[in-house]
Amino acid sequence: MIGPTASLSHLHRADGSASYKCPATGYNILGAVNAPVELPGRRDALKPEEATVEVFVKPGTTTAGVGERYVEGLLRSVLGKVVLGREKGFPRRGVVLTLAIVGGENIERGDSYLTVFPALLHAGLLSMISASVPLSMTFSATLLGVTKSGDIVRDPSPAAAKAAVSLHVFAISSKNHLLLNESEGRFDFDTWELARQNAVTICQGSSKGSDGDVNMEEEKNASGNGFIRETVEDQIYSDYVYKLDSI
Amino acid sequence: MTTPLVLLPSDEVPRDYLPANNSNPLRLGPGLRILSQPSSKSADSKHVLTATQAGLLTTDAKKNTVSLLSFPNRRYIPTVNDFVIAQIHHSSADFFHCMVSPHTAHALLGQLSFEGASKKTRPMLKQGELVYARVLSVGVGAGAEVELTCVSPSTGKAEGGMGPLAGGMVFDVSTGMAARLIRANNPSAEIDEIEGLVILAELDKKLDPFGGFELAVGRNGKVWVNCSDSEENTVKATVAIGRCLQETDQKNLHPHDQKKLVSKVLREMKLT
Amino acid sequence: MKGQPLPEATASLFTANPPRTPIGPGTGPTPLPMRSIRPPSAEPPKKVAKFAAPRGEGTAKMSKEAQLSIAERDFILEALRENVRVDGRQPNEFRPVDISFGEEYGHVKLQLGKTSLVVRISAEVTKPRDERPFDGLFNINLELTSMGSPAWENGRSNDLEASATNTLDRVIRHSNALDTESLCIIKGVSCWSIRADVHVLDYDGNLTDAACIAIMTGLQHFRRPDAVVKDGRVIVYGVEERVPVALNITHKPLSITFHTFNESKNVIMDASLKEEQASEGDLIIGLNSAGELCYVSKMEGGPVDPMLIVNQVSKAWEKAKELNIVIESVLRADLTKRAKAGMADESRAENDRLMATE
Repeated sequence: MIGPTASLSHLHRADGSASYKCPATGYNILGAVNAPVELPGRRDALKPEEATVEVFVKPGTTTAGVGERYVEGLLRSVLGKVVLGREKGFPRRGVVLTLAIVGGENIERGDSYLTVFPALLHAGLLSMISASVPLSMTFSATLLGVTKSGDIVRDPSPAAAKAAVSLHVFAISSKNHLLLNESEGRFDFDTWELARQNAVTICQGSSKGSDGDVNMEEEKNASGNGFIRETVEDQIYSDYVYKLDSI
Repeated sequence: MTTPLVLLPSDEVPRDYLPANNSNPLRLGPGLRILSQPSSKSADSKHVLTATQAGLLTTDAKKNTVSLLSFPNRRYIPTVNDFVIAQIHHSSADFFHCMVSPHTAHALLGQLSFEGASKKTRPMLKQGELVYARVLSVGVGAGAEVELTCVSPSTGKAEGGMGPLAGGMVFDVSTGMAARLIRANNPSAEIDEIEGLVILAELDKKLDPFGGFELAVGRNGKVWVNCSDSEENTVKATVAIGRCLQETDQKNLHPHDQKKLVSKVLREMKLT
Repeated sequence: MKGQPLPEATASLFTANPPRTPIGPGTGPTPLPMRSIRPPSAEPPKKVAKFAAPRGEGTAKMSKEAQLSIAERDFILEALRENVRVDGRQPNEFRPVDISFGEEYGHVKLQLGKTSLVVRISAEVTKPRDERPFDGLFNINLELTSMGSPAWENGRSNDLEASATNTLDRVIRHSNALDTESLCIIKGVSCWSIRADVHVLDYDGNLTDAACIAIMTGLQHFRRPDAVVKDGRVIVYGVEERVPVALNITHKPLSITFHTFNESKNVIMDASLKEEQASEGDLIIGLNSAGELCYVSKMEGGPVDPMLIVNQVSKAWEKAKELNIVIESVLRADLTKRAKAGMADESRAENDRLMATE
């Protein structure tokens, strides 16, 4: 399987940006973050001592609708968990994340929005990192489909996702927390547990990685969190090539 | 120096990377925080330094500091003592309300926070005028206001060229580039600490016959350039400096290419 | 937008004639008494004076883009008096145009200096409008998000969005660049609806021209699925089943935007954001490679000499021809590449897809 590709900080106006492409599902997402910015007319936010995370999802070839609003809510809750909104300069300000689905099939009304969700999460996280928004941890996510025969398929294509009995999205943090668990369709608990174990393996590279075995570099990089790390490291190294040259 | 290390949010700073200078307290730069981890084995908790942003870990053994260099395109967050180029938005009885970075709350600059200013002699600044100022305080808690000053609070003098900026032109660069320009031009910096920037030295050398130039760098990603001594070449020289700085920034040019860029741009602007 | 919204003064005429050669009477700077040149009475002469002075009061300018400092405005104007632009360009020089394509047909990425956007063309079968049973539908959708500029608020439209959409509609849709009659499948029952979505990724001025180039490129690049009528029912074939069909493009109009400075003594093309902010007014000309004018707009700002408009039309014509050649060459290159990779790649892609499903 061809792995995803991503790049950071390719836009000029936004404070942080990222593009994320997942060949398996065909989605290509662009993300941009502006933070910390003044949110007009919302000075009296619910939690004035924290930053407000705003998420906007723009579909590629349609006007945004219910599906986008739903997925925006999910993204806001996951990212809201990891953004440290009390750090200097952030309280009462906004962290505005905009995601545009520029490539991939259109999600028809009534179809599951979960198929594009992991790509949105990755693009969102990378954009946040690129804008240097303070975060408590990073994460990675995966989509798993359970076929009629009970097999678990990683990153099913839109067609395969439609045929799947159930779909599951998990987001696992770099510290092994389960940050998000969204499922659709019919499944029993055993299937879910199996899917979760699969997701931990995909995101962390090893199901027993809880005590931080940093030695397994090779395996780490093949994992979801390893991919995030590699993408960020590449960008930092190229941005600070002048520093590294002199070392 | 040990191998360069990139940290991601939640990564711990390895102990062997910390400066081994115990006479001064360790100072943490932005992007790092100290967390205490309750240890299961013993009763007392363990302190760890963790990153909250992604960046390259850098340490200064002399000053005993450890900090993270994060992405250069990030938004500027006011920090005490930073030099910034602020734009007057409007004025009230006691303050000038200034824009430090777009789409954020205005910073306050006291009407009397200028060298030798009194009620009668204070500068009358209009909307859109620029000042070179220092961040005096950033306040505490939510909604705190940033205050700027154009005099050093200790000496009452406008050190480092602070005050209104008349004429010239402002160019936008990334906040990372601005920080780099300031570090590279720090008079106390050693020769090897030029941050891979030869662009200003090169411009200085080549533009000297035309009258040279004045430069002020704001940490908020603005560079003010004034070439009024160049007489009939003022416009061309200013444009040349702006283009060189912006292109070096955007393309992250190697020192060798920076020199080539200067020659190319000066040739194009007919300043050779 | 600048100052007060003025009554719209545009001339949207699509004629089959080439633009008139500048043979008008050289009557100097007296403005023509034409509604299309200068907004009527609602324009007191003090407006001109306002642009001479640094714009102070008009904070509601161009959405909420941060205002230019006096130093920047003065310098841009001073440099233009010496015929120098801040990025070193010539007055009639565009920033480098870079066009690339995505995997799908009609997926165009355009980079114009630091302004960049993605256009996606899509098609679906729908019911034609009752009053136009022979016509298919074509819509241009431009929604500005805070990705393009932090000054734009998500989910809220602004003046720039409205004016750019209006211009694109006039230049491309109302001039019938896409033959909507060819989109009809069954009269009054079903037709193709073509949609152009513009995603602005980075905004550094001249949004309209950039979007126009990208949409026109996208329309020429796009291939819609083939559809046939069998026993009164419409059958749409997948891209894998039948070779998809190119759209019927009747002509290739582009918009060319000028900005004026220093009492319209300096006129430039493809202004950057800062140049736009320092300008006293704009002039948009829409025409195709044959020189057929389909849109002229002088929406706001200081008055200009009508002769200037006539002269700019010929400059715009040169530029439109030049840009259309660029578009043609990138299209040709991409289509050849696709044809070459074509069969082999498609079957491989199909295999991959099957593998992924298994």
